[in-house]
Amino acid sequence: MLSGNLLNGIILGAVYGLMTMGLSLIFGVLKVVNVGHGAFIMLGAYVAYWMFTLFGLAPILSVPIGLILGMALGFLFFYLVMKRLLDAPELSTLLATFAIGIFLEEIAKVVWGPDFRGYSWDVGTLHLPIATIPMAKIYALLSSIAIAIALYLWFKKTRAGTALRCLVEDKEGARVCGINVTGFYALSFALGLGFTVLSGVLLTLFIPVGISPYMGGIYTLKAFVIAVLGGLASPWGAFFGGFIFGLVENGSYSLLGLIPNVEPFSLTQFVAFMVLLVILLVKPEGLLGEK
Amino acid sequence: MIFQKYSSFLLALIVFAVLFAIGMVSPSMWQPIALIMFYIAMGQAFNIFMGMTGYVNFGYVAFLAIGSYGMALGVSRFYQTGIGLWLLFVGFALAIVMAAILSLLVGGIALRLRGAYFAIATIGVNEGLKYLIEGGKFWGGSEGIIISKPMRATFGRHLANSLSTFWADVFLFIIALLAAYLTFRFMHSRVGYALTAVREDEDAAKVMGVNATKYKLIAFIVSSCVAGLIGATTWCLKSTYVFPEDVFEISYTVEAIVIVMLGGSGTLLGPIIGGLIYGICKYWLAVLLPGLQLLILAPLIILIIVAFPGGIVGVIRERIRGTVLDQVIV
Repeated sequence: MLSGNLLNGIILGAVYGLMTMGLSLIFGVLKVVNVGHGAFIMLGAYVAYWMFTLFGLAPILSVPIGLILGMALGFLFFYLVMKRLLDAPELSTLLATFAIGIFLEEIAKVVWGPDFRGYSWDVGTLHLPIATIPMAKIYALLSSIAIAIALYLWFKKTRAGTALRCLVEDKEGARVCGINVTGFYALSFALGLGFTVLSGVLLTLFIPVGISPYMGGIYTLKAFVIAVLGGLASPWGAFFGGFIFGLVENGSYSLLGLIPNVEPFSLTQFVAFMVLLVILLVKPEGLLGEK
Repeated sequence: MIFQKYSSFLLALIVFAVLFAIGMVSPSMWQPIALIMFYIAMGQAFNIFMGMTGYVNFGYVAFLAIGSYGMALGVSRFYQTGIGLWLLFVGFALAIVMAAILSLLVGGIALRLRGAYFAIATIGVNEGLKYLIEGGKFWGGSEGIIISKPMRATFGRHLANSLSTFWADVFLFIIALLAAYLTFRFMHSRVGYALTAVREDEDAAKVMGVNATKYKLIAFIVSSCVAGLIGATTWCLKSTYVFPEDVFEISYTVEAIVIVMLGGSGTLLGPIIGGLIYGICKYWLAVLLPGLQLLILAPLIILIIVAFPGGIVGVIRERIRGTVLDQVIV
């Protein structure tokens, strides 16, 4: 029972990791904390929901649509808002991303209504000795890993990725070398949001009826926990942090279920918050972060 | 000189007195004015921390919520002791103590962290606490606490009624006054000067020997305690119940941010002007476009941040720089 649960935790953890990579990318490059992170996950969930219910498109095939939508929104919000705030106090970008998140949630409420929605994509199950796992989740796991590897290769092997790494190391130096700093800021912001919306698409495979305009809040919290676990500015740390968090979450759910008279689901969310505070207290640079 | 120092505070007093007088003269205006006062008080309490330190407490609503739980627990657990009106005192005291404990726990951890990390640490406070109460099934769990019965049993039907329809709002005026006074005292004290230095340049302030964390913690606790009092009176005493889904609603944090940014953060009059305008607009929008307030507010926040980071008070200050009025508005 517990080992099956932990296996589920690892699979969900891959999506959690992907979900947090965008947050870490934006923080790593722009030094902006996207407080409205969860709203973009919510958008991805609705992309998957709409594509599936309206056109019968398999959620895995909605992944590029999520990426494109997220990147388009990323460029839009960057040039409309974030570009003007890059030199402003940190307070401004925090409030601006917070407001963007609220704005998206309210738009979603107008478009899709406040109720919970969901769909089920049935493509068979995989029978393992310790657990039975729907194939949909296996696809989610595989595509998460593939996407993370693709981002990694882009970051390490291409010219653009190298330029971006230069920019993270030394902004002024990069500018002197002729790197278009603002352009790369825009690209990072767009890519970060693209990956976030994309992860929302995959997340719907784990929450059968959990799609609502306000679903994002708890994922913002989870993404922060994971980001801090992996070292806030490192997308790779975030990806591995996702696995750890998936394990901790499912493990603590099983353990909390043993306590009589409590609601393990709600308490698991509380545990996430406590993990966050403890890590921030003990090792703010992240468990996997280097200092 | 004395006049210059107190001028902003006097202006605040005049605003409160005018609002109170309007409410007294015309009973139909009492509820709208109570709503405006709620926003003014909430903005002021938020401003004590955000305006002074430049840090955003994204878990702000949790402190109003814990205050309303303080009052609810005070009334529902102690009403059989027969202490009469002292019960309210117990409720308010519990609200302050519980808000202070929560702020000490959260602030003690989060305020060691700079900027972005602080925001991350506070963003989970209200969700975390809500899930703890619902999941742990204490304090009524997800069913909340209803205090109308103990209120009636202690105070009688008539007094219990007027407590929630009239006195709760009067308490709000007193709390707003207290918040204005605390802001004023802070701005003209060692704490205020230290915090201004920290806000402008934290590293420089530390080099000068300012204990940044200590002063930030003071502002955080004071802001949270005032928030707790607001929650105790408006959310518990006035509505006579506390439901976790209602009191941990994140939109109140958004509203506090809007009020402070609109009026001008870090100023005494900012949250009062912001709360006044916001309260009137909200009342009007709720009639005109019900359910769409947040959709309009969110772009408003972005617009203010991009175009007028100093808020209304900031714009006025720019205009009157160098004139006689320069010293009046601080």
